[in-house]
Amino acid sequence: MSKVKNWHLQREIEYPYDESRPKKQWAIVFDLNKCIACQTCTLACKTTWTSGKGQEYMFWNNVETKPWGGYPLAWDLRILEKLGRQAWSEKGEYQGKTIIEAAPETERVLHWAPTDDDWMYPNVGEDDCGGGTQDGGGHIPNTPHDKWFFYLPRTCAHCTYPACLAACPRKAIYKREEDGIVLIDQSRCKGYGECVRACPYKKSMYNPYTRTSEKCIGCYPAVEQGVQPQCVVNCIGKIRVMGFINPPWKAREDNPVDYLVHKKQIALPYYPQLGLEPNIYYIPPVHADRAYLRQMFGPLVDGAIQRYKELPRDPVAHGLLCLIGSTDRIMHRFDVKRGIAAGFDEKGEEIVRVPVTEPVVERAAFDPKYNAIRNNTP
Amino acid sequence: MDRRRIVPFALGAVLLAACSNKKPPTTTEEKIEPLKELSAKKVSVDLATPDPGAAYWQDVPAGAATLAAQPMITPRPSISFTEKLIIQAIHDGTRVAFRLRWKDTEKSEAGHLGEYSDAAALQFPVKDGPPPLVMMGQKDGPVHIFHWRAQYQRDEEKGKPDMKDLYPNASVDMYPLEFKEAKALNANASETEKFSPGVAEGNPQSYVKKGVDEIIAEGFSTSSVQKGHGSAAKGEWKDGTWTLVVSRPLAIEGGSTLRPGAKGNVAFAVWQGGKGEVGSRKCVTMFWTPVSIL
Ligand code: SF4
Ligand code: SF4
Repeated sequence: MSKVKNWHLQREIEYPYDESRPKKQWAIVFDLNKCIACQTCTLACKTTWTSGKGQEYMFWNNVETKPWGGYPLAWDLRILEKLGRQAWSEKGEYQGKTIIEAAPETERVLHWAPTDDDWMYPNVGEDDCGGGTQDGGGHIPNTPHDKWFFYLPRTCAHCTYPACLAACPRKAIYKREEDGIVLIDQSRCKGYGECVRACPYKKSMYNPYTRTSEKCIGCYPAVEQGVQPQCVVNCIGKIRVMGFINPPWKAREDNPVDYLVHKKQIALPYYPQLGLEPNIYYIPPVHADRAYLRQMFGPLVDGAIQRYKELPRDPVAHGLLCLIGSTDRIMHRFDVKRGIAAGFDEKGEEIVRVPVTEPVVERAAFDPKYNAIRNNTP
Repeated sequence: MDRRRIVPFALGAVLLAACSNKKPPTTTEEKIEPLKELSAKKVSVDLATPDPGAAYWQDVPAGAATLAAQPMITPRPSISFTEKLIIQAIHDGTRVAFRLRWKDTEKSEAGHLGEYSDAAALQFPVKDGPPPLVMMGQKDGPVHIFHWRAQYQRDEEKGKPDMKDLYPNASVDMYPLEFKEAKALNANASETEKFSPGVAEGNPQSYVKKGVDEIIAEGFSTSSVQKGHGSAAKGEWKDGTWTLVVSRPLAIEGGSTLRPGAKGNVAFAVWQGGKGEVGSRKCVTMFWTPVSIL
């Protein structure tokens, strides 16, 4: 076992291989306040990558309703239950064990093994509320109320310390040096399913037709051309941005992902306590139950929500939020000047430019020239 | 040696002597001697088509090898599901055949997620001289493995299962990326399946298997499937026991060779798929067994 640095946990953790951070690390930031569970991302991914035999129930991108939904069934509760109660310090240092540190002697990773039945209900629990229920469930007697739910879109997190990779005895899984994308070598995999057992996020899936395991490939053919993944560019709610994240000691304020995660500290990794340094980051939903959010995002969630609520008063942050969803290219840098937000590619060339506030044009309701009533349908 | 262990051995020997030697040995007979060394006598039958139930096995002496849960790397089984493997060996001048028997309460041929295949493997050093590490060899000490899976045998007998075989009640409208052979007249198998990653990559795992996989390894995590050399296998599961015959050419260029009149080495592994054994979750012999080709 090596000792490696995990900045999500603010401490060193144990991992079977040495620390070896990629040159760039693929990452997605999701604003959970904006996701509408339209599943466009899920379908964009499915039609691109997993419409073949053996992939019928395979969703590399899925969107589930929290707290009741989960694909596969209760994936998060089951690993949390195995891990047991663990502690965080107030400042965000994790004092508990990761799933690798808590592994039994005969295993590489603490895990539960999903079965076919667990994968059978991709959208179980959809729109089911958490919080107290009355009158058989749906009745909300007053507002503000204690009922809540939120949508959680998920892809593979292309973890810095992937459990899937750690668990594969054939070394068929590798993490790319150029962009940190984690791939299963489809010519070496023998279908042992160790990664399917080990990934706590359950993002490695078994294909019974090819008899190999498959997982999200981070849309690497697009990423190699400077284009964001399918689930990002097709997002209806414009809740996602894909880019490259630096560790905090190399963070750059003008990098969109670094800005949201490090500078503003409004986006957090989910279930960081599992110890993999997952590279999908979430802006937590402001209205959901805090105890639940602390379990999912750790003790920094309260501060993140506080700062998110202050964003509208910050012109730079406001500008960046306008850029999200405005380009299919990968932004390596952004700036906001004189009311205009602009994004730049790796070479520094401008790829997108948007006004921070859309100009307002007022038109009369009636057009005398065409003798027509104008309506506001965009 | 402690007394309690001597007694059953002695008793076993008496019972064995009392038995008629007409009946083929079965795993229920606990009195088979522990295996120290294998001798493959020459027989005048063609071993190219393995036959686990053939009468000629009745006269071949058997030894019982002790297996234990693979102890070297994780993940590994927490208990030894297979502890005893009964082994016989014969050769026909060009091929050597090994007959293995072990207890397994259920027959497992894999298929769905989390279902693994029963399997067994024989391992030989590639180079002459002192054998390399018994656990999959070592750098510059390659081993040649013959890996049989019940799943491969099922494939050979019934074809590779399609989704309809695995999930008879599933309903699928269409597979948009699948070429229909009727429409793509010149499409060959690799074209019709070019969007099935394992198939498109030529992963042996994704194809119909014949007999055994031949594998070369130089230590854990290094095994890779090679082009086969005409090795063959046939297993039969009955009443909680697998009987498997693996036959291989004596001489394999670029692989392992066993020479008549000389001594080689062999090691064994067994996987009980129904117990979740796959990959490094297996039971193995902890030592090389010398094998003489007489
Ligand atoms: S999310 Fe799971 S499958 Fe993806 S890299 Fe992390 S451990 Fe591997
Ligand atoms: S496309 Fe966007 S808004 Fe729709 S479900 Fe996916 S992440 Fe949510």
